[in-house]
Amino acid sequence: MSFKDLREFISRLKETGDIKFVKEEVDWELEVGAVSRRNYELSGPAILFEKIKDYPSGYSILNGSLGTFRRVAIAFGLPPETSVRELYREYEKRKEHLIPPKILEKGPCKENIIRGSDVDVNHFPAPYIHEGDGGRYIGTWDIVVCMDPDTKWQNWGMYRFMIHNERYIVGFPRLHSHLGLLLHQKYKPKNKPMPIALVLGADPISHLIASASIRKGINEAEVSGAVNREAIELVKCETNDLMVPAHAEIVIEGEILPDATAQEGPFGEYPGYRTEGVRMGVLARINAITFRDNPILTMISLGIPPDDNSVATPITSAIAVKERLKASGIPVTDVYTPPEAVIHTVIIGVKSGGNAIVRQILDILTTRRSDWSKIIVVDQDVDVFDMAQVIHALSTKCHPRRGIIIKDVEKGKGNPLTPCLTPEERRAYMAPVVAFDCTWPPEWPKETHIPIKSSFNEIYPEEIKQKVIEKWKSYGF
Amino acid sequence: MGKEWLIFVPGIEDLIEGKETIVTIRDLSPGRKKYNAKVVKAILSRNPEEFPEADILWVRSWIGTLYQRPWAIKIIEEAGDYIHGSPHGETLGSISDL
Repeated sequence: MSFKDLREFISRLKETGDIKFVKEEVDWELEVGAVSRRNYELSGPAILFEKIKDYPSGYSILNGSLGTFRRVAIAFGLPPETSVRELYREYEKRKEHLIPPKILEKGPCKENIIRGSDVDVNHFPAPYIHEGDGGRYIGTWDIVVCMDPDTKWQNWGMYRFMIHNERYIVGFPRLHSHLGLLLHQKYKPKNKPMPIALVLGADPISHLIASASIRKGINEAEVSGAVNREAIELVKCETNDLMVPAHAEIVIEGEILPDATAQEGPFGEYPGYRTEGVRMGVLARINAITFRDNPILTMISLGIPPDDNSVATPITSAIAVKERLKASGIPVTDVYTPPEAVIHTVIIGVKSGGNAIVRQILDILTTRRSDWSKIIVVDQDVDVFDMAQVIHALSTKCHPRRGIIIKDVEKGKGNPLTPCLTPEERRAYMAPVVAFDCTWPPEWPKETHIPIKSSFNEIYPEEIKQKVIEKWKSYGF
Repeated sequence: MGKEWLIFVPGIEDLIEGKETIVTIRDLSPGRKKYNAKVVKAILSRNPEEFPEADILWVRSWIGTLYQRPWAIKIIEEAGDYIHGSPHGETLGSISDL
């Protein structure tokens, strides 16, 4: 089963009992954020807030569409109880078979069109999510579309954007994001505005793919089709050449100004802290807004895990890491980042490890930018999806001196949202990355140096294991 | 006192008192436009009681911590929708400074 739009997905969540419909009026200022946050921390369902203060009936907010592995499985069209390991496998497998999007002349997202001086982004119930945030965030679980003006490659990203005023939104796409690179390499040198479209309320897979690390030049709409196992339907924007999901709830068409800025943030972000403070952000002027009747604004009340960003997004991030390592010749077996790691710690399994391999991994994962600040490398006998095994390996196999490798990442490439950084490091995107080598040195002779793992599977002869398993019940267990 | 506004600053010591300055402030009036920003030329004072004709200015630090005592702000004029400068300019500046 695939979902053409958010509304079909909501219907499916209703069938499986994975959504709550809140009919009582809630305030877009803090109440929506607080209810959503508490609900995440109780591992609750997605929430559709159906009556928002200051807004007419029919304008609603959906929080947490992919905030649990169950909901990710449902979005994939799989049984809700599908295992985490299987979700990773499924994403890895599906994304290889790209499906080109279908281009439509018209789409539901054009049911209402506001242009020019009639534009007022306050028309939509953007939530003020956390006490102390810089403003109302219209874009948290969004898709931001932009284009390379030379190759016409269209890129999807997920970047936060807040309301600046009626006609402007201001965001935090990082300097080394694809949007940031295109802006500074292709538009700013010519002093040209960069067209963007901020999409809210598309099908769930398209949002997931927007949050993924997909290589430059690859059309995310094709990847979304691949994971959805059905072509995504796109429609052209009204005021620029960008293509957006035709069934999206709201599309904000604008242009990033090359010579203007405005204060953005602060905002309680995915690591679970409001870390990086107010800064001069990336400012976009809105030229048009198109939206469906009774639009649904998608959001996430980001914070400590679990939420969509710590549950769903790491699937795509981990698989991207796996592919990069494979392409560089690393004998990688599996990659996992648990929700609690908030895309700061990644666990990498390898067929054969050692210090040289770990150093190579560290170099590969810090080339363009470095979201991960902790890299744990384990041998293939450790199941990366089992944190008990990972912590056991870290505790026993990581040499306190030789096993810890620290690399200073070039300024501008670090993750400014990492809470332990100093204010100066955050501002300059300057962050060291540490790798923990939890593998046996390849030069150690097996017979004399590599300790014998005392697990049932590994320390007993096959015939004894067979006997114990066969007689298990007769022992009285 | 009139309207209430909000400002974010690196630290309270960064507020310039007693002379015209360009600042970004957010409107705290209830309703749909609450938190919309304005760039204004204004005079600020740490003593609202000495500035009775001014508006109230609540101050938050760069990471959003609210200072308990509000300042006063007298708006002289609006100064456009935004600040002229480069996107990511602050980060680019920090990188080159280090």
